[in-house]
Amino acid sequence: MTTAPEGFTEVRLVDPFELHVGPAFSQGETGTKRYAFQVQAHHCNLRGVMHGGMLMTLADLTLGQAVWDVTDRAHSVTLNMQHQFIKAANEGDWIEVVPELTRRTRAFVFMRGDFTVNGEIVMTTSSVWKLLGQD
Amino acid sequence: MLVEASRLPEGAENISLRGFNLHAGPFYRLPDQGTVRRFAFVALEKHMNSVGTVHGGLLMTFADIAMSRTSRLATDAKSCSTVSLSCDFVGAGKLGDLIDIRVHVTRQTRTLVFLSSHMTAGDRVLMSAQGMWKILK
Repeated sequence: MTTAPEGFTEVRLVDPFELHVGPAFSQGETGTKRYAFQVQAHHCNLRGVMHGGMLMTLADLTLGQAVWDVTDRAHSVTLNMQHQFIKAANEGDWIEVVPELTRRTRAFVFMRGDFTVNGEIVMTTSSVWKLLGQD
Repeated sequence: MLVEASRLPEGAENISLRGFNLHAGPFYRLPDQGTVRRFAFVALEKHMNSVGTVHGGLLMTFADIAMSRTSRLATDAKSCSTVSLSCDFVGAGKLGDLIDIRVHVTRQTRTLVFLSSHMTAGDRVLMSAQGMWKILK
């Protein structure tokens, strides 16, 4: 079981699928929060590298938390996520991301993130979220 | 036999044998329909989010697994790695849904495969996705 890196606290996950793949950790204040996640054996594929599905799940989890933060926990849904897989991550690696708000409008949030291992980008993700009940 | 397996179409083959595929699955390959490759799974409690719909990360995982497998099948490559993937979340999946995906090869070059896919639950569209895969020699 992964323990929190120094200065990080465990993210309180509520979605069953996130609890199934977690834990994830965060540090810092809303808007500049840094997330960390350690790759375990069950997150990897047959080639022994972190599965793309797990990386994308981590993107949904962390960028979703950031959308929650900037909207004061408004209900929103993911409309689109685009991922570029730059480099492999391996078992034991710590993946980090600081989600960046690209733009927020009345109805939409545009959020992106560079996912890194030891400062090197392994995946970049951009995403579009719709705030429910806003035209 | 797993309980949900009884709801799968005839000829479904479990492809979740190891690693994250097994942890997130089970996912199944269905018999081909012409050149279209088909895969399916049943949405279980562990696949859900807190508002009662199937988690987006799990849907992207299913798309990645189905499209990666199709890349391998189409090219006879030992393995393929995802270069990019774009997912439109068109509709929500629900607990107990039988969710299937149809994967189409748009173009294949010496080193790359371009793919698109369409994910549905019954007559509801859940996701359309497109991406490219690198053929690993």
